[in-house]
Amino acid sequence: MASLTIDKLIKSFGAVEVLKGIDLEIEDGGFLVLVGPSGCGKSTLLNCIAGLEKTTSGEIRIGERNVEGLHPSKRDIAMVFQSYALYPNMTVRGNISFGMEIRGVDKAEQENAIQEVADILQIGELLDRKPSQLSGGQRQRVAMGRALVRHPQVFLFDEPLSNLDAKLRVDMRTEIKRLHKRMGTTIVYVTHDQIEALTLATKIAVLEAGYLQQFGTPDEIYNDPNNMFVADFMGSPSMNLIDGTLVERDGALEVQIAGHGGSSISLPVPDGAEMRKHVGGPIVFGIRPEAMTDPDGADRTSPHIETRDCYIEVSQPAGSDTFALTPLGGKECIARFRADARIELGAFSPISFNMTKAVFFDPQTTGRIR
Amino acid sequence: MSHPSQDNAIESGRLIRALIYTLLIFFVIYYLLPLWVMVANSLKTLDEIRGGDMLAPPKDITFEPWRQAWSKTQIGVEATGLKPYFLNSIIMVVPAVFLSTFLGALNGYVLTKWAFRGSNLIFGLMLLACFIPFQIVLIPMARILGMLNLAGTISGLILVHTVYGLGFTTLFFRNYYAAFPTELVRAAQIDGASFFQVFWRILIPSSGPIIVVTIIWQFTNVWNDFLFGASFSSYDSTPITVALNNLVNSSTGVKEYNVHFAGAILAALPTLIVYIVSGRYFVRGLMAGAVKG
Repeated sequence: MASLTIDKLIKSFGAVEVLKGIDLEIEDGGFLVLVGPSGCGKSTLLNCIAGLEKTTSGEIRIGERNVEGLHPSKRDIAMVFQSYALYPNMTVRGNISFGMEIRGVDKAEQENAIQEVADILQIGELLDRKPSQLSGGQRQRVAMGRALVRHPQVFLFDEPLSNLDAKLRVDMRTEIKRLHKRMGTTIVYVTHDQIEALTLATKIAVLEAGYLQQFGTPDEIYNDPNNMFVADFMGSPSMNLIDGTLVERDGALEVQIAGHGGSSISLPVPDGAEMRKHVGGPIVFGIRPEAMTDPDGADRTSPHIETRDCYIEVSQPAGSDTFALTPLGGKECIARFRADARIELGAFSPISFNMTKAVFFDPQTTGRIR
Repeated sequence: MSHPSQDNAIESGRLIRALIYTLLIFFVIYYLLPLWVMVANSLKTLDEIRGGDMLAPPKDITFEPWRQAWSKTQIGVEATGLKPYFLNSIIMVVPAVFLSTFLGALNGYVLTKWAFRGSNLIFGLMLLACFIPFQIVLIPMARILGMLNLAGTISGLILVHTVYGLGFTTLFFRNYYAAFPTELVRAAQIDGASFFQVFWRILIPSSGPIIVVTIIWQFTNVWNDFLFGASFSSYDSTPITVALNNLVNSSTGVKEYNVHFAGAILAALPTLIVYIVSGRYFVRGLMAGAVKG
């Protein structure tokens, strides 16, 4: 087990810079999730850590050791691939023991190691089958077994669940979390699924276009996003980013938002030097759907709830909740109502805004106004 | 193949079917007719052949022409039959096929999984080699064989066929390996496998179909080659195709058509057997290489 440090990492393919200076650090035993839309460079970053891609500049340290120039097999890492990458011509046993065979581990020791991971992953009865005879979930387990048997310092997972069906994905997610608890090994995990990121990680790195957009705990990423990209990318349904105008009235700041027809609402904004620079100008008001509720469903522990009448156009019952769509700032905004809340469509209904959860962005820079 | 599967198109009218079958049967006869003529006449006596009908079945079957063709008849100056030349061909074909297949696999592996700057250009140039007419290279090749002291030897022919097979074998393997998941190679690298360990342990065991295609292709081409055999062999390294030509051209006064027919079938037999034994892999493997490439 070891910590992992990435220092000013730059990776270019020819003239194209894919990673533009990434700084990350995950403590020993941590679970780092790299998340971002496709093409953001997250898989490239993982391949750089694994040693499958050469870095252009910058440093990667596993523990205290700089792994620059080291062959993948010498970095003390193990990797689980998106396609599982099981050797099709070998049995499950052969797949798991291949690395040990190459390293010249003796037979008895190999057999012990195979039994150990087979017990952990409950694949004992599959050992003599070929990968083609396994289901997706079983292949996934074997791929993890092949990684586990190395007892590496760092596990690397490259979108390991994206080929599974929805139900199995949830099961395997739990399994990976349990495995991490049990082994305590540092994990770096790549995904484009923000729910996976939030549920698994101790630290999340959100990447976009080769830049690290934000690096923090799941709670920080979700509740305290650095910019509009992170706010929009994380969470489902994603955060409402509402265009409004910041005005000052009687010495207090408030945001004015256009509603249905000619109507508008205004909500109080926390005062501050940074915020005052935007008075009279446009501002983006960010609020998550669960902070916009029917008044009875509002969070009673919140010290600051504001209720406004909004025009409800459409409702989408989702079983546990009902999503109500209301036009605010020229866009459809989603509010999360209790499942049995009475919603009158095509009319004004009160919506409670939990203002302690509200965040504000500068529409020009897309950065946060704190 | 023989059972209708779900892939079958919807059954069309009986008339159309009858038409299709008639046409197919006609073409089957059309294509099999030469083979029939050869087999039938190789089992006849010379008198019977002279007597007339080429298409008629033999009246009294004799295997003497086959015996003659194999071990007795006059070829060039010696009455050895085709046997020694048949062996020459085997000694030439087996290493040439093995070497060109192996090197093609290695090239395909490097060109897809270890691509380097300019690897596509090199592949393009190798492809070009497939389309250069053999006649163009005869003189330079003769010069090279002379320099290597291999002129007129079976080793020399093996070299020529290996070199000229490489374009195609590389093409086959490159296309096959292009569809082979690179993640498997990476996984093996993380497991610590070396360049050749990845090749032997991961790629080769998964290459069955394309190996069969390459072997059939190379075997057929090298076995049937006449030009290189005629140009670069001497009396003790002559392959069977050239010997067959000599057999037909050696005249002792009488044209022994029955022996010629038997000799021609003998010369064609190995490729026929290879194709019958592994033909179904051929089509399958060719598709795998072509579609996924």
